Amino acid sequence: MTRLVGRGVPRVDGRAKVTGAARYAADNEIAGVLHGFLVMSTIARGEVREIDPSAALAHPGVVAVYTHADMRTLTVPGFPYNRTFIPMQDTRVHYSGQPVAYVVAETLEQAQEAANLVRVRYRAEPPVARLADAPDEPFLPEGFRADQPTETVRGDAATALEQAEVRLERTYGSPMQHHNPIEPHTTTAVWDGETVTLHESTQGVVFTRNVVSAVFGLPPADVRVVSQYLGGGFGAKGPVYPHTLLTVEVARLARRPVKLVLSRAQMYTSNGHRSEFRNHVRLGATRRGTLTAVIGTSTAQVTRTDERTFNTNDSAVNLYACPNIHVRQLGVRLDLPTSGYMRSPETTAHFGLETAMDELSYEIGIDPVQLRMRNLRPTDPQNGRHTASRHLPACYRMAANAFGWKWRNPLPGTTRDGDEYIGWGMATETHSHNAIRSTVALTIGLDGRATLRTATQDIGTGTYTVLTQVAADELGMPLGQVTTLLGDTAFPDASLSAGSSTVPSVVGPVADAAQGARDRVIALATTDPRSPLHGVPAEDVDTEGGRLFARGDRHRSDSYRDVLTRHGRPVETRSHVENTRGHSFGAVFVEVRVQPRLGTVRVSRVAAAYDLGRVLNHRTARGQVIGGVTWGIGFALMEHTAVDPNTARVVNPNLSTYLVPVSADTPSVDVAFVDQPDSGSNALGARGFGETPGTGVPAAIGNAIYHATGRRIRDVPFTQDKLL
Amino acid sequence: MRLNVTVNGRPRQADDVWPGESLLYVLRERLGLPGSKNACEQGECGSCTVYLDDVPVCSCLVAAGQAEGRQVRTVEGLAEGDRLDPVQQSFVDAGAVQCGFCTPGLVVAAHDLLRRTPRPSDEEIREALAGNLCRCTGYEKILDAVRTAADAS
Ligand code: FES
Ligand code: FES
Repeated sequence: MTRLVGRGVPRVDGRAKVTGAARYAADNEIAGVLHGFLVMSTIARGEVREIDPSAALAHPGVVAVYTHADMRTLTVPGFPYNRTFIPMQDTRVHYSGQPVAYVVAETLEQAQEAANLVRVRYRAEPPVARLADAPDEPFLPEGFRADQPTETVRGDAATALEQAEVRLERTYGSPMQHHNPIEPHTTTAVWDGETVTLHESTQGVVFTRNVVSAVFGLPPADVRVVSQYLGGGFGAKGPVYPHTLLTVEVARLARRPVKLVLSRAQMYTSNGHRSEFRNHVRLGATRRGTLTAVIGTSTAQVTRTDERTFNTNDSAVNLYACPNIHVRQLGVRLDLPTSGYMRSPETTAHFGLETAMDELSYEIGIDPVQLRMRNLRPTDPQNGRHTASRHLPACYRMAANAFGWKWRNPLPGTTRDGDEYIGWGMATETHSHNAIRSTVALTIGLDGRATLRTATQDIGTGTYTVLTQVAADELGMPLGQVTTLLGDTAFPDASLSAGSSTVPSVVGPVADAAQGARDRVIALATTDPRSPLHGVPAEDVDTEGGRLFARGDRHRSDSYRDVLTRHGRPVETRSHVENTRGHSFGAVFVEVRVQPRLGTVRVSRVAAAYDLGRVLNHRTARGQVIGGVTWGIGFALMEHTAVDPNTARVVNPNLSTYLVPVSADTPSVDVAFVDQPDSGSNALGARGFGETPGTGVPAAIGNAIYHATGRRIRDVPFTQDKLL
Repeated sequence: MRLNVTVNGRPRQADDVWPGESLLYVLRERLGLPGSKNACEQGECGSCTVYLDDVPVCSCLVAAGQAEGRQVRTVEGLAEGDRLDPVQQSFVDAGAVQCGFCTPGLVVAAHDLLRRTPRPSDEEIREALAGNLCRCTGYEKILDAVRTAADAS
């Protein structure tokens, strides 16, 4: 049956994207649109005393300057809005870069210029910007998601640690980081009477619709959110953020459509970030390397208004078979924006665990791959699914072979090439994935073409392509006979593009809706005396290439087009099939070259292998691996949002000083897949995968640096100053 | 000012243009050509790359007034009707496109590289594209695409 699924089919939206025809949220032409620009607070804590808009209002083209005084009282929504307040509702300032006024003008340049002319006076209080500077003890916040508790206890970890033959205690850290999708956040709000349409750069049109409807007291049907193409999100566009809500309100006040595009600098305080993070890890083990205790206490930043933390310590709980576990995620209140999910949020804590495992391997004197093999967990402890890590040994083997791991001399500092030190390191890769209830509608028109509609969106991973592949295969049509439409709340509700949930959530319903439609068309043909298939038992009809065939007698055939034309009405099906949460796994091996005189680190080679269940599209899956590994390299070697400790302001809010990997930083990546279907997943045996690759890369790089130099660095990024 | 500029071979006009506004803004908001992307507005990412008189520029850094009377070619002007330029085709074929937001700028930058250097070395490709940031692909497939396009032409 499967002709397309599994193959590296090129993207169905590739042509639109290389010709500039793809319409992203800011690309729509909207008659009479005004351009908005936010005025952001320059203090991190305190109060707005006075706002003087007169100079701004005198600027040509400026239509209005809105402040808290103009705004209605809006209802603060729940998750996925990550704050307990909406800015510009009162005078309180909770972080630097909080919106305090909103300028609208005829052109963007006019709005931008006028925003600079708005005079704001404040009463400022001294802020706290770093974990190390917080006066209060870290506390255990209440979890805000039932599936992500802030504390997990299994067995008696304290006693087990005390009795362990080998003990290791270390602290690891990582700084604040920002997602920096290349597309900035954008919202265009268009009111029509009491209904509003948003052209929004969002990873969740349905989430956004629900939040806007709650804030403005509108029936969900009166809010439409459209996001046809998304220029990356990485978590920054998952939750709904204040600028979206403010734009909706300002468009209502201005009685004209308003378009807001955040500037790059504003994206450093508007849409969450990966929090600064400390992870205190204690491991107990036998002399042979069997883990007997894992205690992980992490500390992340929360705010004075919110207690949510996002960098869950999932792998410490789920990855290794240790009977005694105590994991806690503490918070410290800082005067910064609320943090959020950022691609592969579990990486942050996993970096500590996988570095500690490497340190333990040296402590005990066994190979780091061996140590991990010795502690594998045969079943997923959370749901008892036996498939979870069954193929992890194969991942270690495949990646180790591709890398040439067996040639490694374990002694640190022994391998050189000219004046460069060479080191090899490895780590396990793992991330959880979600499954979100999703519905799809499929229509086969009189022309025999199929159209799939569902309100998930393509964040860039290849959702359009994979869903088209699945539907075409199940229908027995060529790829070009199926059109997939996404990113519009006019379609049935479907998954957020986050938490690696799209494939596990939406593929099952697409396959089911397509099978249903195919069966209906087969039934139409076999019961229609005008069809060559009349009288053939339905179960003996195959579909392929847009045609229907009698099995065993291929000359008796019909086509979707002819069946539908005779039928005279389109065939429509809808489906939702629920899936379960799960994990994907892998192993990554890296080689680094360290230049001892300069302290520079270059990643020269990467080999990785993964178990993600069945691979639906090798090309897009590889794309996720290479992209994820590149994120891991950024995490390990350069990404760092610097916050001034006195003003709590981001001092590098741009792409020339917040460094992200460029083409010269990335080696080629050797990628392999186990590619065995997971019988526990109804997404054709595929699991969620996008966030697994890269989770182990920061630890693998740090482990390789230790192997190269004998220097163990426990704080990312591994910059030159730390290596000299 | 009234701006006169030839875009993708067609003479175009825009009225009431403030000479200081960016060429990127003029293309996107006044001439209905949103293919070139705004991502940083300060010359850091390359998403807005277009040809100005045959020289690739960050259109976010070019003032509208500077484009007066000149030729601009954007990503929308690379294909011949339905026939993609070899660079565009190889981006699709190689899997060099994910979210696609960096793609218009990268396609123009790669197009320019291959015009000047039909058989670039890997170093030359990396150098030529170093000003174009991509947050999705990890670049490997983009380099593959440029190599394929070089072989094809
Ligand atoms: S938008 Fe012009 S270089 Fe980034
Ligand atoms: S494909 Fe998304 S930024 Fe390059």
